[in-house]
Amino acid sequence: MSIRVQLPPILRPVMGGERTVAATGSSIGAVLLDLKQRYPALGLHFFTEGGAIRHNIVFLHDGAMIRAKDAMAHRLKPGDEVVITNALAGG
Amino acid sequence: MSVALIVGTPKGAAVLQSKDQRSWESEFVLRGWPVTASVRDDKGRTYVAVNSPNFGVALFTSDNLKDWKQLESAPRYRPGDRGNPEHHRLIAKEDFTGLLKSGGRFVDQIWTLHFAHGALWAGVSEAGLFVSRDRGQSWQPIDGFNEQPGRESWAPGFGGLGAHTILSDAKNPNRMWVGISAAGLFRTDDGGKTWSPKNKGVNPAVDSAPATTGQCVHSVTHDPNNASVMFRQEHRGVHKSTDGGDSWTVMEDGLPVTELSDGHHCSFGFPSAMDLKSGNVFVVPLDGDNFRFPRGGQLAVYRTKNGKSWEPLTNGLPADCYTAVLRGALSADQNGGLYFGTASGTVYGSSDLGESWREVASGLPRIMSVEAYAR
Repeated sequence: MSIRVQLPPILRPVMGGERTVAATGSSIGAVLLDLKQRYPALGLHFFTEGGAIRHNIVFLHDGAMIRAKDAMAHRLKPGDEVVITNALAGG
Repeated sequence: MSVALIVGTPKGAAVLQSKDQRSWESEFVLRGWPVTASVRDDKGRTYVAVNSPNFGVALFTSDNLKDWKQLESAPRYRPGDRGNPEHHRLIAKEDFTGLLKSGGRFVDQIWTLHFAHGALWAGVSEAGLFVSRDRGQSWQPIDGFNEQPGRESWAPGFGGLGAHTILSDAKNPNRMWVGISAAGLFRTDDGGKTWSPKNKGVNPAVDSAPATTGQCVHSVTHDPNNASVMFRQEHRGVHKSTDGGDSWTVMEDGLPVTELSDGHHCSFGFPSAMDLKSGNVFVVPLDGDNFRFPRGGQLAVYRTKNGKSWEPLTNGLPADCYTAVLRGALSADQNGGLYFGTASGTVYGSSDLGESWREVASGLPRIMSVEAYAR
């Protein structure tokens, strides 16, 4: 299943400046693991040493904000787009 | 001879290059990444460490200082490694989901990179030591350091429990030193299998620590070819060792001494650097840990030529300056050039061992690291 993933600006240089990258998977977790396998440099930024999604990463999907703790199992449909961003802080 | 500076800031790195040390070309790279350390290997490749509270730690490399590529590996603890949540600087207080309460250990910053004997070394927080023997393609933890007895008594400094200094002996690959705030300096003589505290003669900064550790070492410098003569900028003053750190004596003649927050009288500062040709050593004192800016606002680098006393060098440096120079922000290019960056984003340079200074760059973010390379 093809999913389009939009990267945050800070991670785009890892992919040669590309704004989006194609991935496969039926959940956000599966998509991230697919990207990690194909692009290990990108995978460093998604997962902690323990294998959890970094807790400050936030995903936008279908108009909803998905926190890291809920993202592994969050279901996706073919053709979906997922935006990767980070939790905002400050003021 | 041309010079290149890698200036690390919380928002990227300024790459400053000059052929005459007067006019400088500047490019701001790795935008958005906090850049904490850099090093150059024996083939001229530059490695830069970045970290993000959101996206973790990584390394970028470049052969020309223009094109940067992220390495596919970085220092990481094993999933089963156990740490102390209180040791983490950034993550612990933002641990909304309780990940750290289980005691997992994470690398949240690379504090220093070091190249010696064909290997690339990284000092990290939570305090640990990693090595790459394939130029960053893979990293291995040094278990003898990372799991050493007594570690449970270590306490973090204000910036976290960071392994910020790595030194090596050019004549003895089995001997290395690692400095940690605020656990002190440690040395191995068997290639990293075992480590011993090397803090005798230095007052601990952590009251609860054993006498052998708990020293808040800020930086250490030496000549790798004369490795046993060492100079140490401590929270509690500058010290010298002539026996590889087995013992230390206070060396503060000429330095501004002040009263620290705990009543101790000594000099205070963060970085230190040595010009290997001359043997001159440089520090940048601040007016104690209460104020943390140059005494009287006079930005000054202090130099020792004889290894006994210090002299201030102020020619060209501002006299109304209330900033600081952080631990990684002073570097010698080993061709007579000396460079440092301030916490308010100005870089100063000297091409005559500190006798005179020029502004090299300004308007940068807070400067966390400076590495200078003559080419």
